[in-house]
Amino acid sequence: MAKQHASLLTQYLIKPALLGFIVAALVLAVLPLVQQPTESSRVATASDLVSFADAVELAAPAVVNIYTTQSSHPNAHLQGPPTLRLGSGVIMNAKGFILTARHVVSNVDQIRVALQDGRVFGAQLIGSDSLTDLAVLRIAADNLAVIPRNDSYTPRVGDVVLAIGNPYNIGQTVTQGIISATGRNNPDNAYSEFIRMDAAINEGNSGGALVNSRGELVGINSGRYLSEQGEELTGISFSVAYHLAERVMEQIIAEGSVTRGYFGVEARHAFHPELNIPGVVIERIEPEGPAHLAGLRPGDFLVRINGVELKSLNQALDMVAATRPGTSIRIDFVRQQQYLTTEAVIQHLRVPEE
Amino acid sequence: MKRLYILMALLALSLTSITSFAQVPFAQLEQRMGTPTLAPMLEQATPAVVNISVEGVRVTRQRIPDAFRHFFGQQEQTREQPFQGLGSGVIIDAQEGYVVTNNHVVEGASDITVTLNDGRTFSATILGTDPESDIALLKLDEPSNLKELPLANSDELRVGDFAIAIGNPFGLGQTVTSGIVSALGRGGFAGGRLENYIQTDAAINRGNSGGALVDLNGRLIGINTAILGSTGNIGIGFAIPSNMMKNLVDQILEFGEVRRGILGVRGRDLDQQLADALGIDRTQGAWVSEVIQDSAAQQAGLQAGDVIVSINGTQLHSMTELAAKVGAAGAGREVRLGIIRDGRELSLNVKLSEAETTVTAATMHPALRGATLQNNGGNGLRVTGIEVKSPAEQIGLAEGDVIVAVNRRPVNSVTELRSLLERSKGVTALTITRGNRQLYLLLPN
Repeated sequence: MAKQHASLLTQYLIKPALLGFIVAALVLAVLPLVQQPTESSRVATASDLVSFADAVELAAPAVVNIYTTQSSHPNAHLQGPPTLRLGSGVIMNAKGFILTARHVVSNVDQIRVALQDGRVFGAQLIGSDSLTDLAVLRIAADNLAVIPRNDSYTPRVGDVVLAIGNPYNIGQTVTQGIISATGRNNPDNAYSEFIRMDAAINEGNSGGALVNSRGELVGINSGRYLSEQGEELTGISFSVAYHLAERVMEQIIAEGSVTRGYFGVEARHAFHPELNIPGVVIERIEPEGPAHLAGLRPGDFLVRINGVELKSLNQALDMVAATRPGTSIRIDFVRQQQYLTTEAVIQHLRVPEE
Repeated sequence: MKRLYILMALLALSLTSITSFAQVPFAQLEQRMGTPTLAPMLEQATPAVVNISVEGVRVTRQRIPDAFRHFFGQQEQTREQPFQGLGSGVIIDAQEGYVVTNNHVVEGASDITVTLNDGRTFSATILGTDPESDIALLKLDEPSNLKELPLANSDELRVGDFAIAIGNPFGLGQTVTSGIVSALGRGGFAGGRLENYIQTDAAINRGNSGGALVDLNGRLIGINTAILGSTGNIGIGFAIPSNMMKNLVDQILEFGEVRRGILGVRGRDLDQQLADALGIDRTQGAWVSEVIQDSAAQQAGLQAGDVIVSINGTQLHSMTELAAKVGAAGAGREVRLGIIRDGRELSLNVKLSEAETTVTAATMHPALRGATLQNNGGNGLRVTGIEVKSPAEQIGLAEGDVIVAVNRRPVNSVTELRSLLERSKGVTALTITRGNRQLYLLLPN
């Protein structure tokens, strides 16, 4: 009886249970595959192949070709025919605001924007920011295709990205790669948050869009990485992160430029050896700068700005940069194992213009 | 309990069917050890992509400037340079041993060796070439046990589709690179050529020429042909679409040459401004500004002001694409054009006429140097030009002559003439029609 019971158990309980497990395992194994097309249904096509065609269809019309002319040479006696330059841009809203790379439109006389539907417009330069290499243009046009955006999208290393632009003016081109790194990964630029990626970028791609496999804006393409010898390397390109680009654009539209606060120190992130807390150690101080005027000295260990604990150098940099010049900030710091507090009046960050 | 059992089994079954269904979008992006991979597809496709090595002599001609003719005579100076080259090719018919490649891979080659990826080698002969579209068709000697690539319908491609290039870059051996379709209908790089390229960011380099661009199912979507950038791959490569290649190869197989089709229109690309002016709501197409007298277009009823928006049901992007598609479709073929006229859509069938192609006869026989020839509508070859005091003039050839036979074998196309002249040994006799007379001319050996 007991034995029969056992076999009954096998038949009616264990077997279905086992099957259940198998099914569950199958569901688990299959789910990523099942869900991927539904989650990102716009990525999968009606045909039976994986393709980014739908993403391209959504994003590509919002990427424009930019043509600039520069008629006057800085040296008057070297004046010749106007130089033509090439770039790309991204239509950010229906009002005609376009984000592009600053180096595409700096020091030019005339900017023309060609849409993918064949229309061409003269564009007005609203403002630019050299630290992020971004510029905002405006065209007076109706019926504009606007780049799709998703504020909840966070770029991750390994995400598939598509670069859309007009390399060498051969016409709109889409190239594919993955995100190679996120965050502040460009050693030459502490203020700009870059998406590093391996999609092919060439002259004329600058200012164009980097989108994900749903066609949503990931960044504004900036350029290729230059080696120490000045060679452009293939497979390492930078794109200014979309969130940063949008913030910069909003400030440029509101004020014509980006204002950043300046504190006047060189510093590094560190852990205090005795107190074992994170913070920022001042290494050098700008004479007559805000930190100097506040009485700070090299070696001081900054713990908090306006009550917020400093966990990284970038955080400190961002907090200072985001502070309006003329405003004071409260700084808690440690000097020779003594907690001290001071107030510093933030100045305007001056950026050498090229 | 039992019911549950069955239910679960059913569920399992339905799930497995969902599995296969769900995998359809990822058709050949198969999972191996849980990782998507192209390897199973490539195992099927790569045996059909071959390495091509060529040897031959290229003749470069230098015209002597007038001032020096006194010293060197009228003869052009020719320089013969032996060359070797490497490229790739694609087997499109395993039974017959047909391999398609680029014309520039095999141009001038006297010796062609095809190596499969299993190491077997075959010698090959050229069945026909088309320099303007850069396509050549080869036939392997004694083909056996070959694999061919099935063709995809390249008109269905979209920007963003995956594209995988297979070839032999730098002679390194077979190499596979992946990317996407970056753009379609690309052209206008070299005037007068038929260009309707698929642009891709899959890495293509020297030696990839003639190789395959395939989709995720391992079907041929294009023949890799060119790249932008002098130093090597910069992510901008170009491939001849498989549909265009098929049209050209069919013509080579049928006639031994490409009989280019021509529509007989002039015009430019449609853009927003033009579309606004014409009051139509699309921005891509070919706008006809002029219909040439007695052309195929005129006979079919095409009018100036028409906008051609599709060809054989496929959307048309530009005038260059139209020219390439019409040219590749071939003379005598009928194409269906979608047209917008006065805001109304209509469809016209056009029987394409033959584009005039002129050939310099010197490439066929030294004694014909100085003559230019043209197909004469399937009835011999017309001499369209003779240089003064050239060898062609010295043997008695005159402008307007029609060459109708070589050694009494009828000749109706440039390709036929070339192969007959190649086979001819000793003195060759040309049969010529001049006005209503027929005469023989002898070509010295």
